[in-house]
Amino acid sequence: MRQPTAVESRGVDEILAVHELRRSFGGVRALTGCSFGVERGSITALIGPNGAGKTTLANVVAGASRPQSGQVVFDGRDVTGRPSHEVALGGLIRTFQISREYPAMTVLENLMVSPQRQAGEKLSTVLFHPRRFRSEERRHLERAVEVLAEFGLYEKRNDYARNLSGGQKRLLELARAVMADPKMLVIDEPMAGINPALIERLADHIIRLRDARGTTFLMVEHNLDVVERMCDKVVVMAVGQTLATGTMAELRGNAAVVSAYLTGGVVDVRAQG
Amino acid sequence: MGIILGYISTLGVYFCIYNIFAFGLNIQFGYTGILDFTVITFMAMGGYMAGVASLGPEQPGSGIYYVLGLIASRRLRSDYLAIVTLAAGSIVLGLCGVIMAICWLVANRIYRSTFGRTMRAIREDLDVAEAYGKHTFRVRMTAMVTGCIFVGIGGVLTIWFITALAPAGWGTSETFVVWAALIVGGCGNNLGAVVGSFLVAVLFNEATRFLPAIPAFPSLVSEIRNMCIGGLVILTLWFRPQGVVGERKARFFEVPLRTESREQVRVPAVVASGS
Repeated sequence: MRQPTAVESRGVDEILAVHELRRSFGGVRALTGCSFGVERGSITALIGPNGAGKTTLANVVAGASRPQSGQVVFDGRDVTGRPSHEVALGGLIRTFQISREYPAMTVLENLMVSPQRQAGEKLSTVLFHPRRFRSEERRHLERAVEVLAEFGLYEKRNDYARNLSGGQKRLLELARAVMADPKMLVIDEPMAGINPALIERLADHIIRLRDARGTTFLMVEHNLDVVERMCDKVVVMAVGQTLATGTMAELRGNAAVVSAYLTGGVVDVRAQG
Repeated sequence: MGIILGYISTLGVYFCIYNIFAFGLNIQFGYTGILDFTVITFMAMGGYMAGVASLGPEQPGSGIYYVLGLIASRRLRSDYLAIVTLAAGSIVLGLCGVIMAICWLVANRIYRSTFGRTMRAIREDLDVAEAYGKHTFRVRMTAMVTGCIFVGIGGVLTIWFITALAPAGWGTSETFVVWAALIVGGCGNNLGAVVGSFLVAVLFNEATRFLPAIPAFPSLVSEIRNMCIGGLVILTLWFRPQGVVGERKARFFEVPLRTESREQVRVPAVVASGS
């Protein structure tokens, strides 16, 4: 395992740092040396034209896909190429681009799966020491009910998750992630395809979680209005690289960023980034 | 009368054994979503192990009969011995029943536990469970092994009961019967496994034995049996895809909600009515 290098140098407390990530699928080069950092406690947006490699980056960071080279440092640990569940146990939870609830389980159950390192997840405990996990179950249940209430899903707790509306599924996704008590959430297009009122509501939840629990967010997002309203920092990606980072106001004046959005990123990113 | 009782106890033993097979497959497929199309292999392994274990004291037949026989022949005179051998049949039935009950309790305890919930989450979405920190490989492996142990126990009982095992007699079609039992009865519910075992393994599998054999086509009846079971599976999937007794909704004891933790964000009317 390599030591975290070239990462601590920027002076801010970075919970996540990716360095020169490369990943290609056959001939398609999805990531071509992507580097940036995410400050602890921030809401950072990851924007860029279609095909810029945002989802691939989320996959690589969360361990769902292995980079061919480069480094991912999360919370001071090198997690490059570690399997998903290990990254998740370290405190980084990712959500998926489409809502992926556990359809044939109830809303409450969906939440109850999330807490990490549950004692009742070992077969020997289940069979021979049932008392050991009963109190833990009770604690998780109380917590789950509270989280459901926060997200306005309390009334739906005994419904199958597949019967929720699209918007409710998004809320469930977020609630379920909160239940895992993550240090950082990587959320892939949480606002895609939902109505403006719900966008407001989700945005409020995300800001509230950051303020109340100090959760760091990295949010892949297309809706620039939402990004401007919510996010402290923005990372712009194009053709598999980081094109620019900064606040939304700074980026509006950046010719490379504007050009990337208009042309799909076919510019000489090295010259201008 | 004796024949009918004997027949019913034979059916009872088969019912218990098929229940155990179905519990095992339910843990694999119904809980965790593992498609195990070689159920009967593990039954045969259990049977083989039981067979080998019983060969020890140079006595053909199974261990339990050896023990029974030892006690009986040492301590009983011939007429009593005859009665005891008759009783042995019902003892095997009782033994199967007890072992089945234990398997039922274990399978249900797993289902209701945190571990069972994780298994179901993996069945629902492997990638998501993995992204939430579940070691999906280990859980699936545990489920597979646990299910196989169940099936193996069923295999041991089979061998104790029929005292003979021809590998050729346990093939794809026997695996198919267990699968059919689980699908017809209902996946993810052990009561479904019991109902399915009764309907498929006992009722269908046995009822077709009374069809008259046709001398020109000796294998016709068994083929008809498979076709009937296949038809039953199709009908179930068509009209009642969750099975006769589907998976039950998880119930939690109600936790009173503290009012201050109600959603802090003001809910716009549009969203509240469903979006």
